[in-house]
Amino acid sequence: MKQVDLCVIGSGPGGYVAAIKAAQLGKKTLVVEKQTIGGVCLNVGCIPSKALITAAHFLDKMKSASEMGIRIPAVTVDGGQLQTWKQAIVNKLTGGISQLFKANGVESLMGEAKFISPNEVEVKTQAGVEKINAKNFIIATGSRPIEIPGFAFDKKYVLSSTEALEISQFNQRVVVIGGGYIGLEIGSFLAKLGTDVTVLEANKAILTGVTDPDCAQVVSRKLKKKNVKLLTEAKAIGFKKQGSDLAVQVQVNGTDQTVLCDKILVTVGRRPNSENLGLEKAGVKTDSKGFIPVNSQMRTNVNHIFAIGDVAGQPMLAHKASREGIVAAEVIAGKNSAMDVKTIPAVVFTDPEIASSGMTEEEAKLKGYETKSGTFPYVANGRALSMMDSDGFIKVIVDKKTDIVLGVHIVGYEASNLISEAALAIEMGATAEDIARTIHPHPTLGEMMMEAAEATTGHAIHIVVKPPRDREPRASART
Amino acid sequence: MATTEFKLPDIGEGVTEGEIVKWLVKEGDAVTHDQPLVEVMTDKATVEIPSVVDGKIQKISAKEGEVIKVGGLLCTIDAQAGGHAAKAAPSGQSAPPPSAPKTQSVMTTSSAEVAVPSRATVVPPPAAAHVLATPATRRFAREAGVDLNNIRGSGPAGRVTREDVSRATTGNGHTVPAGASSAGMAIPAFKPSPKISLPTGQAEERKPLRGIRRKIAENLQRSKQIIPHFTHTDEIDVTDLVVWRTLMKDEAAARGVKLTYLPFIIKAVSVTMREFPQFNASIDDAASEIVYKHHHNIGFAADTPEGLVVPVIKNVESKNVLEVAHELLQLADKARAGKLAPDDMKGGTITVTNIGSIGGISATPIINHPEVAIIGVFKIVKKPVVNEKGEVVVRDMMGLTATCDHRLIDGAAAARFVNKLAPRLSHPQSLLLDLA
Repeated sequence: MKQVDLCVIGSGPGGYVAAIKAAQLGKKTLVVEKQTIGGVCLNVGCIPSKALITAAHFLDKMKSASEMGIRIPAVTVDGGQLQTWKQAIVNKLTGGISQLFKANGVESLMGEAKFISPNEVEVKTQAGVEKINAKNFIIATGSRPIEIPGFAFDKKYVLSSTEALEISQFNQRVVVIGGGYIGLEIGSFLAKLGTDVTVLEANKAILTGVTDPDCAQVVSRKLKKKNVKLLTEAKAIGFKKQGSDLAVQVQVNGTDQTVLCDKILVTVGRRPNSENLGLEKAGVKTDSKGFIPVNSQMRTNVNHIFAIGDVAGQPMLAHKASREGIVAAEVIAGKNSAMDVKTIPAVVFTDPEIASSGMTEEEAKLKGYETKSGTFPYVANGRALSMMDSDGFIKVIVDKKTDIVLGVHIVGYEASNLISEAALAIEMGATAEDIARTIHPHPTLGEMMMEAAEATTGHAIHIVVKPPRDREPRASART
Repeated sequence: MATTEFKLPDIGEGVTEGEIVKWLVKEGDAVTHDQPLVEVMTDKATVEIPSVVDGKIQKISAKEGEVIKVGGLLCTIDAQAGGHAAKAAPSGQSAPPPSAPKTQSVMTTSSAEVAVPSRATVVPPPAAAHVLATPATRRFAREAGVDLNNIRGSGPAGRVTREDVSRATTGNGHTVPAGASSAGMAIPAFKPSPKISLPTGQAEERKPLRGIRRKIAENLQRSKQIIPHFTHTDEIDVTDLVVWRTLMKDEAAARGVKLTYLPFIIKAVSVTMREFPQFNASIDDAASEIVYKHHHNIGFAADTPEGLVVPVIKNVESKNVLEVAHELLQLADKARAGKLAPDDMKGGTITVTNIGSIGGISATPIINHPEVAIIGVFKIVKKPVVNEKGEVVVRDMMGLTATCDHRLIDGAAAARFVNKLAPRLSHPQSLLLDLA
C-alpha cells in the first residue's frame, strides 16, 4: 500500500493546482486521474472550445475583410486540420502539467479511485488495483454533461459538448438543446464555420440567470445576424430518424413543431461526478443534487477530506476550482486559509463575449443597495471601431451612497480580457472615481472601463448623453 | 525489522509546533503501541504523545527543550516485524498520525480526525460582502486571526486598512478557546526569569515569545484592549474565617482533603453571584449582546513554572466547599505538572486570583476575557483595628479586590457585590444560610 500525505482525486484545473500547491508546501502528494491529465477544462472544455472559437472568428473576419480592402477569393475550411491544430494545443498544455507535476514532486497515477475507508482509496489502474493511504484527500472529480429524457448521448446523433468539439464537418444542420453558455459558445462557432444551427431554449431568453439581461440581448441580436435560429420557450420532446434526417419534436409555446437536422447537441447543464467514488465508505455526504457540501475551507463533513471545483457546487468555473484547490492545499498544510473572495468573474465566449464580475443591478437591489450605473458603448471607442468589432458595451454599477463598484458587466469583443480590471476594483473596494481617475492608455478597449466609470456620474467624455436602453447612443469616436 | 520515523503528529487546534518537555523513554527501550513516549508542550497544553508501533527506540533525534514543527522527526523506532505495527506505520514521511495524545480529551480517537486541525467552523469567518478590505488585507487579517466583520474600518466608507487589522491583532482572537490560559495578576504572580549568564559585551539577549508565555501575552493584551477595567478595593476582617479554617482543617484532612482558604472564598463568590448575575456573564462583542451564564465555572489563577494558567472548577453552584477544595487541589497539581488538558481551562465564567500565599495587600488584576470580573484576594495579616467600642484590637485582615468590566458592571454594583461578599467571609457560619 502506498502512503502519502495528500491524495487528490482528479487532475482538472482544481485538482492539478491543488496538488502542485500542496507539494510546494511540503506535502507528499499523489494525483489520481481516471481519464486525461487536465480534466474537462484542458481536454474537452475551455481550451479546445476556445481554439475552435478563435478559428471561427478568424474565418468571420476574413469574410468581412473586403470592407478593409482585403479581397480573399475563396476561403475553405479544412476540418481535419482544424482538429489537428486544436489537439496540438491541448497536448501542449496537458504535457505542461505533467512537467509541472514532475518539477514539484507530485506523483500521478492513472486509474479510477474509490474510497474503501475514510483514509484509503482503491485505484483501479491498467496494471491492477492499488491501495493508497492518505492523511488528507481532495475530491476534485468535476462534472459531466446532463442527459435529458429522449436524448440519450449516443455520440452519433446525440452529442454532448465533448463530441461537439470533435466535429470536423461544418456543412451540416445541428440542433442545440439548451441556450446556456456552453450551447451558445459551441452553436456560435459551428454557425460561423458554416453549420446551420437552431438553438432551443426553454426559457424566455437565452443565458437566463447567467448574466446581465442587457448583455444577453446583444448576443441574441448577433446570433440572428449570423443566421442562428433561436426558438425560445421551446421544449425538446424527442427525435426520430426520418430517412437521412433526424426529426426533432419541439413544443414551442404549446404548439408542436419539427426541426430537421443531422446532429443534436444537448447542453442543458452539467452534473457533479460524485457517484461511484465510495463516498459512503468515507462518510462524505452529498446534497440532493449530488454536490459535496463544503465550508469556506473546502472541508467536507469529514474533517480530513476536502472537495473543490464543480463537484463542490456552483458556479462550475475552472478558475473557481483552481482557487478552491489552493485554499484546500493551504489548509491541509496548516495555514489559515479560506475562500474569502468578493467576486468570481465569469466569462461567456459567445459572439460577442460576455464577461461579468460582481453583482447585477437586480442582485444589488435585492441586497439593499441603491445603485447607479454608467454605460459606455463599444461603438464610441476608437480601438473597437478599428478592429471592426463595435458591438457591445461596458456597464459599471456602483453603490449610490459610496460610489463603490458593485458590479461590472461587459458584452463585446475581448470582454474576457477586460474583466480582470473590474474584478480587481471590486476586490479592492474601489470606487468608480478610482477607475475613472486611473489613466487608461489610448487607443485601447480598456478606455471604455474608464469611460463607463465616469459615466456613472453622467460625465463621460466620449458620449453625449447617458444612453437610454434599446437605442444606440450618439457616439463620436475618439480619433 | 522496519524502521519507523516517529514524527510530531498534528495534534489539532491549530497547533503548528511543540517544545519537547521530557522524553519518557530512552534509546534502546522497548515500547508498545499507545505507550506514551514523550511530553510535548504546545501553546495550548502539554500532551503526551503515544507510540504508534511496537518496537525498540532506535534513536532520539529531538532533544528536550527543542521546538519541533508538526511533522518534524522525534525519534526512530525499530518496529517489530509482523505486528500490526508495521501495517499502521511504514517508514518515511507517510507515517499516519498516532492516536490521540493522552491528555487531549477533545481529540477523537480516529486517526482520520486528527489529520487536520479543528472542526468545520472557519475562524475567522470570511468577510461579508459589504466589508471593504483589499485581498491582501483580508489574507493578513485571516493569518492574524482577526475577524474583519467585527472591525470598524478607519478608511473611506469604512474601509478596513492593514493598520486597522494590526491594531486589532490581539483584539479578536477567537481562535483561542475562552480561558485557555490567561487572566490573573499582571505582575506579582509571574515567575521571575531565570538568571542568564551573558557573554561579555552583549547587552541583551533575544528569545522567541512562544508557548504558554505567548498565549498569556496575547490573552492579556486582548483583555486590556477590549475591556475598560476598574478595580474596587476593600479590606475584610477574616478573624473568624481563620479560626473556622483551623477548626475544619483536621476534619477535612480526615476526609482526605487539604483545606485552604481559596475553596471557601470561591464558594462565597458563587453564593454572592446568585444576587449579581451580571458578574457571571460575558459580552458578545460581535452581536452586542450580554450573555448571562447559568453555571458558575470559576477559574483560579495558578502559578506554574511556565507561567500563569487558569484551571476552571465547573458548576461551583452545585458543589460544597469540600468538593471545591478537592477539585481545586487536583487541578492545581495538574497545573504545576504542566498536564492540564485544554478542557480543564475552558468555559470559565469568572476568575478568582489568590496572591495571598505570596504577599501583597492589593493589586489590579486583568480580567480573563470574555469574563467580566476577577476577584483578587491577598495576604491575611494581623492589624490593629478600631472596633465598634472604640477599642484598638488585633484582627486578621485580608485585602480583597473586585476588578470589573465597566461596560457591564458599574462601580456601585461592584461595591454592593463586595459588601455582600465581605460578611460571608467575615462570618463563615453565615454560609449556612446559603445552603441550597
